[in-house]
Amino acid sequence: MSANSNGNHISQQFDTELQEVKDHVLVMGGMAEKLVIDSAQALVNGDTSLAETVREAEQNVDRLQVTIDEECTRVIAKRQPTASDLRLIVAVTKIVGDLERIGDEAEKIAKITQQLAEEGQSPRGYIEVRHISQHVSKMLHDALDAFARLDTDMALAVMREDKSVDAEYKTATRSLMTFMMEDTRNISSVLNVMWVLRALERIGDHARNISEHIIYMVKGKDVRHASLQETKEILEDNK
Amino acid sequence: MSEMTSSSAGEPRGHAIDISAIERAAEDRTLDDETVALTVKDLKLYYGEKEALHGIDMVIPQKRVTAFIGPSGCGKSTLLRCFNRMNDLVDSCRIEGEIRLENMNIYQKGIDVADLRRRVGMVFQKPNPFPKSIYENVAYGLRIQGINKKRVLDETVEWALKSAALWEEVKDRLNDSALGLSGGQQQRLVIARTVAVKPEVLLLDEPASALDPLSTLKIEELIHTLKNEYTIVIVTHNMQQAARVSDYTAFMYMGDLIEFGSTNQLFTNPASKQTEDYITGRYG
Amino acid sequence: MRISVREWTAKGDPYVWMNAGAVAVSLVMVIGLLALIAGRGLAHFWPHAILEADYLNQDGKSMLLIGEQVEVESVPADQLRSGGVEVPPGVNFMDRWLIKTGNRDVLGADFRWFLADNIRNIRYPEGLMTLERREWGDFKGYLLEVKEGDTTVASGEAAWDEFLVRLDRALDLYDQIHSIEKTEIGSINYTIERMRLRERKLELEGEKTPQAMADIEAIRAEENAKYENLQQDLIDLYAQINRDKIVARAMNGDEVEIELSKIVRAFRPNAMGIGDKIGHYFSKIWEFVSDEPREANTEGGIFPAIYGTVLMVIVMSVLVTPLGVVAAVYLREYATQGTLTRIIRIAVNNLAGVPSIVYGVFGLGFFIYFLGANIDDAFYQEALPSPTFGTPGLMWASITLAILTLPVVIVATEEGLARIPRSVREGSLALGATKAETLWRVVIPMASPAMMTGVILAIARAAGEVAPLMLVGVVKLAPSLPLDGNYPYLHLDQKFMHLGFHIYDVGFQSPNVEAARPLVYATALLLVIVIALLNLFAVGIRNHLREKYKALEM
Repeated sequence: MSANSNGNHISQQFDTELQEVKDHVLVMGGMAEKLVIDSAQALVNGDTSLAETVREAEQNVDRLQVTIDEECTRVIAKRQPTASDLRLIVAVTKIVGDLERIGDEAEKIAKITQQLAEEGQSPRGYIEVRHISQHVSKMLHDALDAFARLDTDMALAVMREDKSVDAEYKTATRSLMTFMMEDTRNISSVLNVMWVLRALERIGDHARNISEHIIYMVKGKDVRHASLQETKEILEDNK
Repeated sequence: MSEMTSSSAGEPRGHAIDISAIERAAEDRTLDDETVALTVKDLKLYYGEKEALHGIDMVIPQKRVTAFIGPSGCGKSTLLRCFNRMNDLVDSCRIEGEIRLENMNIYQKGIDVADLRRRVGMVFQKPNPFPKSIYENVAYGLRIQGINKKRVLDETVEWALKSAALWEEVKDRLNDSALGLSGGQQQRLVIARTVAVKPEVLLLDEPASALDPLSTLKIEELIHTLKNEYTIVIVTHNMQQAARVSDYTAFMYMGDLIEFGSTNQLFTNPASKQTEDYITGRYG
Repeated sequence: MRISVREWTAKGDPYVWMNAGAVAVSLVMVIGLLALIAGRGLAHFWPHAILEADYLNQDGKSMLLIGEQVEVESVPADQLRSGGVEVPPGVNFMDRWLIKTGNRDVLGADFRWFLADNIRNIRYPEGLMTLERREWGDFKGYLLEVKEGDTTVASGEAAWDEFLVRLDRALDLYDQIHSIEKTEIGSINYTIERMRLRERKLELEGEKTPQAMADIEAIRAEENAKYENLQQDLIDLYAQINRDKIVARAMNGDEVEIELSKIVRAFRPNAMGIGDKIGHYFSKIWEFVSDEPREANTEGGIFPAIYGTVLMVIVMSVLVTPLGVVAAVYLREYATQGTLTRIIRIAVNNLAGVPSIVYGVFGLGFFIYFLGANIDDAFYQEALPSPTFGTPGLMWASITLAILTLPVVIVATEEGLARIPRSVREGSLALGATKAETLWRVVIPMASPAMMTGVILAIARAAGEVAPLMLVGVVKLAPSLPLDGNYPYLHLDQKFMHLGFHIYDVGFQSPNVEAARPLVYATALLLVIVIALLNLFAVGIRNHLREKYKALEM
């Protein structure tokens, strides 16, 4: 029985509970995605009020994490889920953790936006931020889609994307570093942008983690420490 | 599945979503919010000289599933059998205290026990269909009440079998012997038989302990649907089952009610050390 | 391979052998019993060949011997010598044959012993015939001629065929006469007797009005008229049946005239082929089970005895079942279990151990002389001084046996009730049924196979019981069946015949022991078959119930 056939439990109540947990994860994912987009936009536009909204909305993500964890605990206590159901619950608790961290990273970006507004804008780096933020928000969106559709191929694509995000991050840091060496007065503000890039790169990592949890959830294989090639082989073996 | 896909593929969901609804739904119900069906006041039960229940106080909420759990001999079945005076059949049994069903003390003098048992139905551990046809089994309670009109019987039998989720399986062989059914079907037939007399309260005494896992799940699902119409009290030695089917759980030990609260709370964070030990398997 | 005794014992083989041996012995005994009574009983109906021989008498004269060889026996010569038979010296044993000669009217006895050495020239002439007669037993000899009135119709070879044709006609007429005498005149007599009793009753009650008397007289006149008619018919029939007779020669050379109306069956066994013999055999068996006895029960059938046995057992079952069931239900379900119920139970169980003749004495003393006499006083005043129920009869016999078998039914029913799972009773009570409703709707139907087991055991015991019946209702020869076409059809006050008693009577009270012995075996076989059939019937009912209410085995 694979994870996507959970519509046939004899206990319909169990189905409802699992469905609710999944729906709530998607709600939470959507919120995190919006936070990422909004925080990057606030930074690029120097929009402090949007940054404030992001910081407030992050509270909701935290609360939702608690609620979903509570729901998972209850499902474990009351239903003793097994196999695909168990993997779903285990994966969900981990995904929820990653989403919460994504929220945290977004909040960090919002905080830096407010700091930059006080200290003065950075002369460089906004193009990279916009680019990478679009990239990682797309990754997050795809990861959530993969979760909703139990689509391991899409999850694998997200994992692949993470590599290019890492490469872009490296390129961006290198160019910003060069810039700092050239003009030491800008170190403080450029460093802030570097922190933002770092946060976005972390969001990409979390999206990758979510994809790995999805693969575990669907296929029952732990690919957290496998290379992309190995992951691909595992998925093909299990087709 | 398609619902989920459509919800995820659209625009990213923003901050506008009100998560308090989700939180409220996940919040635990408490007994204070419920309508009371049965009230137990200082109930003591003696077998001869031995006190088997030491002054139980509790309320059974209406249209909810209340589970009694506890080790063997803790008095959970005994307490259940007090609700429809099944203990009257035991010669040496004596009861103090009271149980109220809609403000009527069922241990009052002059109570019609047969009438009480029609209002408080009971299903037993082993499926116990009568050696009659499926139809006659379900019609038994009605015939006892003197209802013999074929049309009324037909309607009630069909309705009761549908309530017990058995109609589809037996509608073509209503006149076959009930003993030809499988264990799980027999138990659902017994539930249909009990439901047919339209009781207010359903007492289930380990209804699934003699059944295979699949039949057990079917019975549990049935309990879940029946709670919309009936107040259900279930005794089970299977803690997981109590966790699965019940809204409220009472833990009993040595004739005492140790803890009584919402199932979610009792199974995730019990208030009493004894409950914790029992449900985690450290009891002994 | 050698196996030591020790090892053999340790493996438990001796016990297996012992058990198997016990079973084998039981089996051999049952089969032996059945084989013996079947062999002895059934052989009786076979048409044995009739031998003709010359026999050298003691006085040196030769005589003609005709008969069937029944038995061969070896006798010590001394015994013969002391009986006055000359035996050559040096001979210690001599064979002698038991020959069924028949012709009791001519020779004085049916069976005689003949020394084998003196029988010469044994031959089996086809012309020899056996006539079964209504009186005097069989006739064996040669048919000489057939006569109608005093004129000879046929003689010699042609006589046999003519005889058979005329015998058929005579048997037909006999059946008609019998039917009129037994059924129609019996019914008229019965009605007239009822009228007499009604008149007497009216007299006793002081209501003998002219109107009532006129009614009675009218019925009487009607019955008398019918009787006159029948009487006329009978005279005609008798005239016809007495038309023919035959002349036959017996072994001592006497020529005897035998009326056809006295003959039941005629056959020439030596001339019969195997097919004829088999046909004859089955017709004899059919006669045995369907006809009334003749000649002090030594000839004819035993139908009234079968009928009486079965009817008595059925009436007994009808009486004992409700009584036993109600008693068991009270003991098991309602009575408080305590010392008193334990004493009652012990008493009931001990009743089963009381010798049956004691029940017979009790039935005679209490039921017949006390209850029966009181019933007569109260309800059958008009028949006194001749008793109605104050004398042994079917009802008292059935009641006596019902009491005899009551413990079996009670014990079996109690066992059955105890086996009904508690859960089923609770299931019924939990639906709002009262205790009585639970009992009658669920528990008793479920216990019915056990009740039938009790009834089966009761039937098995009652059908084989003879001793008490001799005191309370069974007779050697009952004038009419206890269930017939005369109102009120079932005559509980009548005496009846019974297979068990019939065996005793035929075997040990009969004037003609030799002739009766095979009948004893045949009757015994029939008793076994009747009991087996009654049991099979009850077992069939029980199995049907068992299937319907098969216990919840979980």
